[in-house]
Amino acid sequence: MLKAIGGLIVGVLGTLAVVWNMAGNLVFNEQESPYTVEETVARIQQNIQAAGNGWSLMGLRNPIKPIQADGGDALPALMIEACSSKYSGPILKDDKIRFLSILMPCKISVYKKSNGKVYIGTMNAGLIGSMFGPLVGDIMKNVVADQQKFLVMDPTKPAPPIVLPKTGGEGGSGGGSAGGC
Amino acid sequence: MNQKIDLLAATLLAVALAFGNAWAAAPAAAKKSTADHAKFKELQKAFTTGPDVTKACLSCHTEAAEQVQHTKHWTWEYTDPKTGQKLGKRAIINNYCTTTISNEKDCMACHAGYGWKDASFDFKAVENVDCLVCHDSTGTYRKLPGFAGHPVYERTEFPKGSGKFVEAVDLQKVAQKVALPSRANCGACHFFGAGGDGTKHGDLDSALKNPPKALDVHMDAKGLNFSCVKCHSTSGHEVSGSRYEMAAALKGHARVRGEADDEPASCQSCHGDKPHHENPLFVERLNAHTDKLACQTCHIPEYARDGVGTEKSWDWSTATRMGPEGKPVLVKDSAGRRAFDSKKGNFAWDSYLVPEYRWFNGQVTYKVKGDKIDSSKIVEINHLEGKVNDPDSRIWPFKVHRGKQVYDTENNILIVAHTAGEDESALWQSFDWQKAITAGMKTAGLPYSGKYGFVSTEMSWPITHMVAPKGDALRCAQCHGGESRLAGIGGLYLPGFNGNRLVESIGWGAVALALIGVLIHGFTRICFFCNKKPKETAQ
Repeated sequence: MLKAIGGLIVGVLGTLAVVWNMAGNLVFNEQESPYTVEETVARIQQNIQAAGNGWSLMGLRNPIKPIQADGGDALPALMIEACSSKYSGPILKDDKIRFLSILMPCKISVYKKSNGKVYIGTMNAGLIGSMFGPLVGDIMKNVVADQQKFLVMDPTKPAPPIVLPKTGGEGGSGGGSAGGC
Repeated sequence: MNQKIDLLAATLLAVALAFGNAWAAAPAAAKKSTADHAKFKELQKAFTTGPDVTKACLSCHTEAAEQVQHTKHWTWEYTDPKTGQKLGKRAIINNYCTTTISNEKDCMACHAGYGWKDASFDFKAVENVDCLVCHDSTGTYRKLPGFAGHPVYERTEFPKGSGKFVEAVDLQKVAQKVALPSRANCGACHFFGAGGDGTKHGDLDSALKNPPKALDVHMDAKGLNFSCVKCHSTSGHEVSGSRYEMAAALKGHARVRGEADDEPASCQSCHGDKPHHENPLFVERLNAHTDKLACQTCHIPEYARDGVGTEKSWDWSTATRMGPEGKPVLVKDSAGRRAFDSKKGNFAWDSYLVPEYRWFNGQVTYKVKGDKIDSSKIVEINHLEGKVNDPDSRIWPFKVHRGKQVYDTENNILIVAHTAGEDESALWQSFDWQKAITAGMKTAGLPYSGKYGFVSTEMSWPITHMVAPKGDALRCAQCHGGESRLAGIGGLYLPGFNGNRLVESIGWGAVALALIGVLIHGFTRICFFCNKKPKETAQ
């Protein structure tokens, strides 16, 4: 009996360890970009602006700036913020799930690693959405579908200019351009 | 006895502190000149031209012009003592703007002289030496392309037709405020090589005028604040440290400034060849790396570490393409850097670039004007000598600039094209390659078959500025991990990266045997424990 309980505990702990180890990979996605950080950002921004479904750019943050202001430095990273009024509206109107506003606006991070390659980091909105009932789950499915379109970059199109925030939106401060949320 | 030791220790400490104070005080002392040039009668007059100022300078600094005339900054020529190859800007065709030949009026904006507009330039006239370009401290002395090395003496529209104007330089004011060269003086040319900020070198751009520590620990404006000549120490206007005469593998102790030193502009000159001493756990291992790696390899993890960036490639084959309305166009990339120019072709830029690594012994052979090329391969504009197991070679970081440039398809030589200028044969006026090539090759004294094409080229630039703080140096795993930066270097066994099937098999075999041993041992003990227990209970 003791052996069976012991085995069960070891099994549960082992499973938890595996889940814990994989959780990061499940919640976040990372993919390589063939372009520079700036061009990747600009192309994603262009896709967001062309996506419809109420999507608009909310801002562009540079998390490296505060580090540089403190005398340090790090490889480039830029965070695109985008929001869709079509998808955010129903969530923000429901008191039970308004706390999910913490996930707004949607963020896409573009960064360089020390191997010299540029990567795009996104959140797995589908997985997160499935944890909060059918309303959020359905919305997040649409968000995921749109997000995938944001990351499709056509090399035959010329590089667009990066869209810089009109006010604030950099260095960890608030603000950003007018958006849909 | 103890008192003697204490006294000796105190004396040594005092000497060390004295040296330290002298070192720390050196920059401040340098700023306190013993002469106020504004009080010199020779400089209290209105000057019409740059050569007029030079004549006034030479009335006191009698030997200065002749000294300058013996340097590369004046001759733009260098003869490699090992190969006898004639180098310098008068001989090399690079893969940026390609060549100064036939384009002197523009290129000489970066010559330390006045009036070099063609082959008739008088290299012996002392008044042609430009003192102010290196010694101006006002920041108002500018030499623009198109003026053969002269600053503008009257208000001038620049570029022509732009509606923007450059004010005439106040030569008297500049002459009265001369000083030792600052980073801005050297940077006026070396930060803007190949026609734009940061374009050429990758480790030199305008961010170094006033850099933070993270960009360069030595030039840190709030810290050591080194000027260029602190390392590139100068004697008789001869500036030390040139990529034409590099020593890639220096050995020996650190030298105090002033001590005779063949390579003062090297890391080893101040730091020695065993520079690491902080952490006793790693000191020996880190110092052992200096017989394989240049200091720059670890301490400049990326170059162009700023918003300026640097040019990665230049494709001349698309030059002369016009915009939709048949007019020349200028297109910028997402970051606002030049991406296409009808005059020049396509460019690619980036910042925070990982260097490419090569074995290098300091010797470089160049393709110079008239040299044959093999157009079926990528042409190396400069070939780096060096190999593994060569005691004079180290692994160095390089910026490799790639491009496509024009060549004579019959004679198989790189072409000298007349690009800059206001005449009809200049490429940037006529947008006609044939006219530009014919004029350029004639000026260069080279044959031209009448047929041209574009060949892929590479040019390597050693990375040696933008030294990062030690905390930002490369980590062990960046070379010794699975995704090693030195993966392509060859000839080197990198523990953690290189695999040896036999060694790995033995290692994993030992691990497996140990695991089996542990399991058998554990299993035996469990069995022994299980079998023993009931007997004890029965008793």
